[in-house]
Amino acid sequence: MRATFPSLAVLITVALGAAPLCAQVAEPDSLLPVDTDPPAAPSNLAAIDLITNNDAGDRIAITWDLSPDDGAGAGDVIEYHIWRSETAGSRGDTLAVVAAGTSQHVDAAAEPGTPYYYRVASYDGTNRSTDATVGPVAGRASFFQPTRASVLALMATFFGLVLLFTRLAQRGSELFVRRIPGLNAVEEAVGRATEMGRPVLYVPGIGEIDNIMTIASLTILSHVAKITAKYETPLIVPTARSVVMSAAEEVVKEAYAEAGRPDAYNPDNIRYLSDAQFAFAGAVNGIMLREKPAANLYLGAFWAESLLLAETGFEAGAIQVAGTAMVSQLPFFVTACDFTLMGEELYAASAYLSREPKLLGSLKGSDWMKVVSITIMIVGIIMNLVGVDAFLNWFQVQ
Amino acid sequence: MPTFVLTTIAALLTLCAYSFLYKDNPFYKFAEHLVVGVSAGYYLVIYYYNYIDPNVASPIFFLRRGGEAIALGGAEWWLALIPGVLGLLLYTRFFPKWGWIGRWPLAIYIGGYAGLGISPVMQSRVLEQLRANAIPLTSVTNVLLVVGLIGTLTYFFFSMKHKGILGGLARIGIVFLMVGFGASFGYTVMSRVSLLIGRVEFLLADWLHLIE
Amino acid sequence: MRWFDRLLGIDRRWIFLAIGVAVVIPFFAPMGFPVVVTEPVRRLYDAIEELPSDSKPIFLSMDYAPATTPELDPMSLAIMRHAFRRGLPVVVMTLHPAGYGLAQRAIATAAEEFDVEYGVDYAFLGFHPGIAAVMLGMGIDIQNVYAEDAYGTPVADLPIMEGVRNYDDVPLLVSIAGSAYPDSWISFAYQPYGQRVAAGVTAVMATDYYPYLDSGQMVGLLGGMRGAAEYEVLIERHDKGVRGMDSQSVIHVFIIVLVVLGNIAYFAQRKGKRPAPQEA
Repeated sequence: MRATFPSLAVLITVALGAAPLCAQVAEPDSLLPVDTDPPAAPSNLAAIDLITNNDAGDRIAITWDLSPDDGAGAGDVIEYHIWRSETAGSRGDTLAVVAAGTSQHVDAAAEPGTPYYYRVASYDGTNRSTDATVGPVAGRASFFQPTRASVLALMATFFGLVLLFTRLAQRGSELFVRRIPGLNAVEEAVGRATEMGRPVLYVPGIGEIDNIMTIASLTILSHVAKITAKYETPLIVPTARSVVMSAAEEVVKEAYAEAGRPDAYNPDNIRYLSDAQFAFAGAVNGIMLREKPAANLYLGAFWAESLLLAETGFEAGAIQVAGTAMVSQLPFFVTACDFTLMGEELYAASAYLSREPKLLGSLKGSDWMKVVSITIMIVGIIMNLVGVDAFLNWFQVQ
Repeated sequence: MPTFVLTTIAALLTLCAYSFLYKDNPFYKFAEHLVVGVSAGYYLVIYYYNYIDPNVASPIFFLRRGGEAIALGGAEWWLALIPGVLGLLLYTRFFPKWGWIGRWPLAIYIGGYAGLGISPVMQSRVLEQLRANAIPLTSVTNVLLVVGLIGTLTYFFFSMKHKGILGGLARIGIVFLMVGFGASFGYTVMSRVSLLIGRVEFLLADWLHLIE
Repeated sequence: MRWFDRLLGIDRRWIFLAIGVAVVIPFFAPMGFPVVVTEPVRRLYDAIEELPSDSKPIFLSMDYAPATTPELDPMSLAIMRHAFRRGLPVVVMTLHPAGYGLAQRAIATAAEEFDVEYGVDYAFLGFHPGIAAVMLGMGIDIQNVYAEDAYGTPVADLPIMEGVRNYDDVPLLVSIAGSAYPDSWISFAYQPYGQRVAAGVTAVMATDYYPYLDSGQMVGLLGGMRGAAEYEVLIERHDKGVRGMDSQSVIHVFIIVLVVLGNIAYFAQRKGKRPAPQEA
């Protein structure tokens, strides 16, 4: 059948008329209103050179106030776009896209010394706000980290105090250190052993010679050795380290010489037993059971063998005095011994006995540092009570 | 070696060690000496392959670092000599005539670690603790914490005699110390018991298969 | 002999035997004592639970030797299981020479239970000597310290390490340790770099770390087998931690009874030694 002109015209008209209808059926979304309102821009955009540990000047911290349409207002912000440029007036490259609710970003790839311009805009999925701009900001490698000024102040105070008191001690100034009650207990224990005619057992711990507790112990050993030399009481010193044994031999020999009794010194009583912790403990227990010392002195660095030693000594009926700065072992010694020098008392005892300027200086310095610490804490509490945070915030380094 | 044989060896050594609870005996001594010897050998190998070999032996003797060859004249080669020689000098302490030399590498080692550690440790153990304990005295626990802290610090103050207020504070400090030691003792007992439980579980489950 | 003399004179080997029996019985007759979760453990659990599912990897530093495995292995396993269940990647490392084998064993056990792939969901960087140097070095670039993983694969080639350069990219670091490693992590990772640190330690050491928890330097803390048991309760996967709690509770009660009896006997003995008051 041939299509006639009028038929074609009708068909075309109908088709043209139906086209919009078809278009509407195929794309119904185009009937919805298009969002043409951009969200509100973020404000107070700021960028600063971020000073961090090992600062190389390559980090710039960017902060802004959230768009009023972020979580409020129109509530349609979904993200923020951040750009960086080296030229004013130009948007530059996209630096980052961050989620809504974020008000900061760190540019961790800045070239030190290069000034940058930053722009931040909020985005609602369709439209972008106007740009907030800031710049120029350049990162520079920092020699000094101002957020850690409080650490520097505290360290300077501490070192200053130690150096001051060490200097005073070296010049011969009389630095008062109260007598440690534990020293009286040590002397009483040695006296008891002398009365009973039995030896004194002195265990300088199982630490190495460079362990500060071992060094303090050897100072006290010198004092004990002078007393045992004077009263001719046998002194047995078992050690767990060969170098400590050599040092103990020197200390005891010198002490006996100073007491005017070099002939009474018996090198066989300074014994190296074993490096192995529990083998050493077993061997010392053996000495306690066989040679029956009346006084056991445990002064130095101890680990898990502490209770094994103290328990056996207790069972053997000896008077026991211990001293260690190992906090985990103090409870055992406190339980099983008659007296315990706790923590810093061990160092104080060695400083008290030796009057060595460096030991005295350290002790006095740390003492007055405790006063500084308590003062800071009390001032902080008072500031807290009156609602002033600046004082304690200065001590916050993170 | 089959797993059961290895498990049995471990179980028997465990029982040898526990036999000490009855009394000291050759089985216990054998187990103890075995563990001392094996651990010494094990750590020797570990320390050689992880410390000495990559940092000293390989660069100097094998001219390698991290599997890569290095040139004889390269900086990495002679730089490795410095810690190597310093480490060897530490052994001079065993010779009385030359013992003074060993103090130098010890000084570098102690000085280096002290320098590295003083600032972070001052921050983490002093500064942060001071800041965290400057708390408002609005509850009993806060008051107890502050009083206990000041009392304990006072107890370890050696520059004045403990008389009057200072003596009173020190006595408060010792009470807190003892409570702390009691808690620490309790935790230690718990820890030791846990180790026992672990061993018993090994014996019952892995060795005897009496439990799953 | 008076009753208190007899009590104080008991041969300690009977007490050892009683403790041995007290440990064994609950394995055959579980009592099901409840395990109450404490705040330090919950804080660590929440810290991992709150991480987004597309988080960068958690670092787990297993710094302990075989002597402390009964307390610390259950912690390592519980944390790995928690992370894998949430689909969070885990990078394991160790700073203790004896920790290498223990870490491998724990990883193998945990990985077996989940559909995880090495290099994508978990990785093992192995042992590296030098504690402070490692911790400080990781703050600059992890690959400067660990160029290869434990099996010789370059760390840069591991998909799990993509975008992980230093502590800025590590959401949480957990140190499971039998000695003072967490102290070092706080000093050399938290203080200088702000790395969030949590720890699992033996019960002996737990008291030393409560100050760090209170001051906010540490995110959470697991103490001893009890801490591991609490974590297992939280992740609803009971294992050796929970299983050991029955024995732990029985022995603790036994020890408390002995301490009380011992003190009563001691004071009774002391009173018995005092001379009787003179009558007028």
